[in-house]
Amino acid sequence: MRVSFTEWTKSGSPWVWLNAGAVAICMIMVIGLLSLIAVRGLGHFWPADLVQAKYTENGNTMVMAGEIVEQEMVPAAQLRDAGVNVPAGMDFMQRDLVKVGNRDVGGSDFIWVLDAFMSERNQPDMMFAAERREWGNFYGYLRGLKENGKLVASYKGYQKTDEYMALWNNFQARIERTLDIHDQISDIEKGTIGAINYKLERLRLKQRSLELKGVTDQSRYAEIDDRRVELNAEYQALQQTLLDLYEGFNRDTLVAETAAGQTIEISLGKVVRAFLPNNMSLGDKVGHYVSKIWEFMSDEPREANTEGGIFPAIFGTVMMVMLMSVMVTPFGVVAAVYLREYAKQGFVTRLIRIAVNNLAGVPSIVYGVFGLGFFVYFLGGNIDDLFFPEAKPAPTFGTPGLMWASLTLALLTVPVVIVATEEGLSRIPRSVREGSLALGATKFETLWKVVLPMASPAMMTGVILAIARAAGEVAPLMLVGVVKLAPSLPLDLNYPFLHLDQKFMHLGFHIYDVGFQSPNVEAARPLVYATALLLVAVIALLNLSAIAIRNHLREKYKALEM
Amino acid sequence: MMNTEAKTHSIDIASMQRDNRTLDLASEEHTLKVNNLKLYYGDNEALHGIDMVIPKNRVTAFIGPSGCGKSTLLRCFNRMNDLVDGCRIEGEILLDEKNIYDRAVEVAELRRRVGMVFQKPNPFPKTIYENVAYGLRIQGINKKRVLDETVEWALKSAALWDEVKDRLHESALGMSGGQQQRLVIARTIAVKPEVLLLDEPASALDPISTLKIEELIHELKNDFTIAIVTHNMQQAARVSDYTAFMYMGDLIEFGVTDTLFTNPSQKQTEDYITGRYG
Repeated sequence: MRVSFTEWTKSGSPWVWLNAGAVAICMIMVIGLLSLIAVRGLGHFWPADLVQAKYTENGNTMVMAGEIVEQEMVPAAQLRDAGVNVPAGMDFMQRDLVKVGNRDVGGSDFIWVLDAFMSERNQPDMMFAAERREWGNFYGYLRGLKENGKLVASYKGYQKTDEYMALWNNFQARIERTLDIHDQISDIEKGTIGAINYKLERLRLKQRSLELKGVTDQSRYAEIDDRRVELNAEYQALQQTLLDLYEGFNRDTLVAETAAGQTIEISLGKVVRAFLPNNMSLGDKVGHYVSKIWEFMSDEPREANTEGGIFPAIFGTVMMVMLMSVMVTPFGVVAAVYLREYAKQGFVTRLIRIAVNNLAGVPSIVYGVFGLGFFVYFLGGNIDDLFFPEAKPAPTFGTPGLMWASLTLALLTVPVVIVATEEGLSRIPRSVREGSLALGATKFETLWKVVLPMASPAMMTGVILAIARAAGEVAPLMLVGVVKLAPSLPLDLNYPFLHLDQKFMHLGFHIYDVGFQSPNVEAARPLVYATALLLVAVIALLNLSAIAIRNHLREKYKALEM
Repeated sequence: MMNTEAKTHSIDIASMQRDNRTLDLASEEHTLKVNNLKLYYGDNEALHGIDMVIPKNRVTAFIGPSGCGKSTLLRCFNRMNDLVDGCRIEGEILLDEKNIYDRAVEVAELRRRVGMVFQKPNPFPKTIYENVAYGLRIQGINKKRVLDETVEWALKSAALWDEVKDRLHESALGMSGGQQQRLVIARTIAVKPEVLLLDEPASALDPISTLKIEELIHELKNDFTIAIVTHNMQQAARVSDYTAFMYMGDLIEFGVTDTLFTNPSQKQTEDYITGRYG
């Protein structure tokens, strides 16, 4: 049966379609965004096959090997203009981005090649990839192993043989050993020596503060000196251990041949892991993938943030958001309680509410500037003058740091908490307040024992919104405490454990830094996606935990049916 | 004609087997004394000079049409009207010969002595036990033994103990409306007030729960002075010893319940109780 257009409009179904359509588009966009960053980011960790080929362009031939990372079509005319000898009759040519690694040998680890100019393509079983602490990946064939400069094992062929595999296993065992030593070294350097340095610095500050106070009692200086001598002795002992460890660490060297036939030597101390991408079963690849993702989430960054993990950034983000929540909640709640419960409602409260709502709309960079000017320079500077004169001229709190970043973001999000809490307070039925007052409770007791607990889910809603806003904020943080590489985490085992004055890393800033400030853009790009995905995941996780707390509170203080 | 109509609508006091014909207001001890009480909402005078007494250990009912000021008057007794913006009071209310509107009076202390139960049950979102213990905890009583004893006594007095003794530590919000209202009464008497103000305590409840509340009022008047506002004249006749009829912010008639319902002295009272308006 035909329905006329006016009938159809009257029935209301166009609106249903419109609404459903809008929701569907939103869903598609969100899912599309997430899947884009997920695919681009997570694909990076899968071990790609290594391709070796002869490449001939304009008469020059070279042998190259690497991972094909990206493919695109370019107009032939453009290539002709660039001086490439393109065969006649072609409009478009496929161009591949190949990660050839070996930056120490060839200068750059990514090159663009024309697909049609590659010949004798193969995937050599025995070509290995090595991730290094510097110069990026290495691709090539294992030729031998040296111990203290003396060759202990070697092999010449390119085929998979038992002899080659024996050499390979020997190689893996030595990497394992070197990594163990590396762990010990970094434990000592970052942990023990770090702690000693920290204590020495505190001693220096203590002595300086005694001098500033004009203390003349020499026994106190002697005490400090004794302690310093003790620490120095400890340090010397550790230095000796370190020297021994380094000797073992640098013992082994690998000899390898690149695809082009060049032989080079690499110290095993530089190798993080080595694998044979073309000789891996699916199980091996999955294992490799999982360990790469784990490394990404749990390790520190290497090579100007383009390799390794982003754990310090995750840690910094979570830490900062938590501190921000701890600061913003009491602030916002107290302000809202005053506005709603105590202040006389009228022109002034209306004005304050308007101001609060407008604060939520101020661009975040403005907060950053305010944080830098007021918190860092003014407050921080004064705190340094009053409490840390011994550290001068080096600033303690008078420089961007974790506390100021959290405080700036708390300021940025306090309007959200105020508005949500006020909303919650206004929804508490009058009858419950009267019930409490009628029992002889004062206004404060009523607030504290009945009203605030009942309004706590609304406060949590405010905190959730605050977290959602703060965790994704980058611009103000650049001014008040975030850095591209922080030497240590803001939470450690050195008293006072939580170092609010330290600078920290942040996922959002990490994305910006890796994506746009990196010297090696090609290598960094997949990490941008992966970091973005992780940032979304971290924010979602923070939000979900806040939502879980809120739902628990809601269940507990279920609103009365009135 | 007039007589028959009056008969059909009037309350049959005799059938309620009441025994308060012998009461006499003059011989009662007074708990509260209201002297020329005027109340204004902004410029609007809501109570026009009320004079009355609330006799000790009796149930005093306030009846009257909607908006006559009976709830407002009741809320004056524990200064609940203080919470209303723009509310102003003249005159005085004496509790133990002291004006409760005196500057020196501490409101929280007054409200502890003059407890109130509201129209709709308003338990706190806490456990049953904590609801009853709330008033005591406010007073700083935290000894478990004292709390346990008082909670049990209050719940027993409110005829609720047998129903809830096994789930004292469950949320009070899971109870039925009638139970919640008795819980609120238990909560109020747990602080042992001298006066119990009931503001239409049964109007939101079903008939069975209403009956239970009315029985409870009978029991409670031995220990407390009770003032109850009700829309239901049957209820006023059933539970009260004295009844005040209010109209448009004036106290029209106040006297022994039986007399007021069977032989009202004012024309307005008679019209109201026979259902001619209201």
